[in-house]
Amino acid sequence: MSEVPPTRMNQQVYKGKKKAAESGHKLLKKKADALKVKFRDYAKSIAETKSGMAADSSSAFFSLTQAEYAAGNFKQKVSEGSMTARVRVGAGIDNVAGVKLPIFTYFETGAATDNASLGLVGGGKKIQLVREKYSHLLQNLIKLASLQTSFVTLDEAMKVTNRRVNALENVTIPRIQGVLDYIDRELDELEREDFTRLKLVQGKKEVAMEEARKENEAKGVNRMKANEADITSNYDAGDDADVVF
Amino acid sequence: MSTPGNMATFNILHGHVESLVRGMRSSFLADADYHHLTQCETLDDVRLNLSETDYEDALADMNALIPTGLQKAAVDKLVTEFQFLRTQAIDPLAKFLDFITYEYMIENVMLLLKGTLSGRDINELIAQCHPLGMFKESTMRSIPTFESTPRGYQDLYQTVLVDTPVGPYFSMFLQETAGRGEVSNVLEEVEIEIIKSSLIKYWIEDFAKYVDSLGGETATIMGELLKVRADTNAINITLNSFGTPLNEPAMRASDRKRLYPALGHLYPAGTAMLADVGDEDELGRVLELFPQYSSIWNIHAAGSEGKSIDDAFYERDVQMLELAFEGQMHFASFYAYVKLKEQEIRNLVWISECILQSQKDEINKFVPVFSFNSGWRASSKKR
Repeated sequence: MSEVPPTRMNQQVYKGKKKAAESGHKLLKKKADALKVKFRDYAKSIAETKSGMAADSSSAFFSLTQAEYAAGNFKQKVSEGSMTARVRVGAGIDNVAGVKLPIFTYFETGAATDNASLGLVGGGKKIQLVREKYSHLLQNLIKLASLQTSFVTLDEAMKVTNRRVNALENVTIPRIQGVLDYIDRELDELEREDFTRLKLVQGKKEVAMEEARKENEAKGVNRMKANEADITSNYDAGDDADVVF
Repeated sequence: MSTPGNMATFNILHGHVESLVRGMRSSFLADADYHHLTQCETLDDVRLNLSETDYEDALADMNALIPTGLQKAAVDKLVTEFQFLRTQAIDPLAKFLDFITYEYMIENVMLLLKGTLSGRDINELIAQCHPLGMFKESTMRSIPTFESTPRGYQDLYQTVLVDTPVGPYFSMFLQETAGRGEVSNVLEEVEIEIIKSSLIKYWIEDFAKYVDSLGGETATIMGELLKVRADTNAINITLNSFGTPLNEPAMRASDRKRLYPALGHLYPAGTAMLADVGDEDELGRVLELFPQYSSIWNIHAAGSEGKSIDDAFYERDVQMLELAFEGQMHFASFYAYVKLKEQEIRNLVWISECILQSQKDEINKFVPVFSFNSGWRASSKKR
């Protein structure tokens, strides 16, 4: 605090800084609140999707067991077929209160269903069921993955924002305030000093003038008496008052 | 050569082997075994229970039981038993047993061809082949060396497949596709399942012809079993083709019809009607005309939560196969043995998967073999 010279210019400068800091603080607080709302939403959707997933995935795997019972072991046939994906994951960016969050979307490439006639001689319907169940599970998985990555990123962003808000609130603004107070005090004190000095000077001058007047009066009487004796006493420069412009 | 099924002479050539297979009949899991298994909480309990059955040796090497490991061990056990029978058999029983293996050979050939098309390693593919349908190692290894062009397939047939027993089926299939003016790349365009269904069709027809030539009890019983198999295939192909390109009107008459075997109760009138069926209602109407299939169809139509049509077919198959064990001096018991053992393996895998995935309420949805509580046995006992 002692590094800042307490001038009026500095006072203006620091007033400006304080204003900037306060408005920045207000904006950041708004951002933190928006992020918090979104965060809570995400947490709720994640909990819902996860609880649904447990039942979905167990039923999907069980439908696979049923299909294998009905159609024999068809895993090799699927893996020997062409492996072009029919479903792809699209990556996108979502903007929430200025924070960029990654999201994943389910995306069908429109490629033909390979192995459509699997289980032709038995269990075809069961295999269809497996396909449906796993597609559903896949959609939920993609949704959950998207939600979770956004959640993590959002969490990070929220931490940073909160940290900045707190820093502004508890460090920067008080510091600026402290500097401003110091400058105010110093300026006040300077004024007071000036004032006191002026007063002192004035006081001293009045006393001096009083004394001068008294001397003058005394000196005037003495001069009348000494006039006959000494002619040169008329030209004594000592009794004349000073010429003050 | 005496005809099999001739009571007087059968035992000379095949008596020993038949006695073996009848002895193996007692190795099937009984009602009590299935009951214990379904009560198990963990797979270790399952292992414990299985070690008291005929599966004791098969599981001796396993540390922890998992459904896939169980399946592999059970299939290996079946293969060992089958090969034991095969080595002691002589013609015509030997040829009959070979015919049974052709079904698995077809599957293996398709797997190898399709796999090499996708560029997989031949060793991996061989490891995944069904052990009952293995043919010579050298033949298998030479399959991936051929290019995937029409010319390549001709070459492949002429040099490699012609040696295998399933070669003729493949050549018939290629001729038929070539005859329809398609010179294009057959294996890549036509789906693997469709090719396999065609090959199976030829196999069923060939097997039926052979069985007829044997005459006697074998022809009667085995003929019936194969007819039912052909019908099941036809119905399943029709039902499962709904929703796939095979169901398009253009494809129905040409492609789908060609997949129906030329035998069975549904042939020829039924299959002609099936060829035109476009959806489930039409299929139901066609099947109403055949009493033995209308009851099965009703089970399918009744609900999807209960039994499915596959379950109904399995039950009916098991009943017929069990009956095939009755009566002596015929070969059908060997076919029945293999198929029933397969059902048992399916049951074991189902039970262990249900236990693993904690789906205890579904665990009883299997078809026990030689059970005293089978629907048809129980109802006939009441009389």
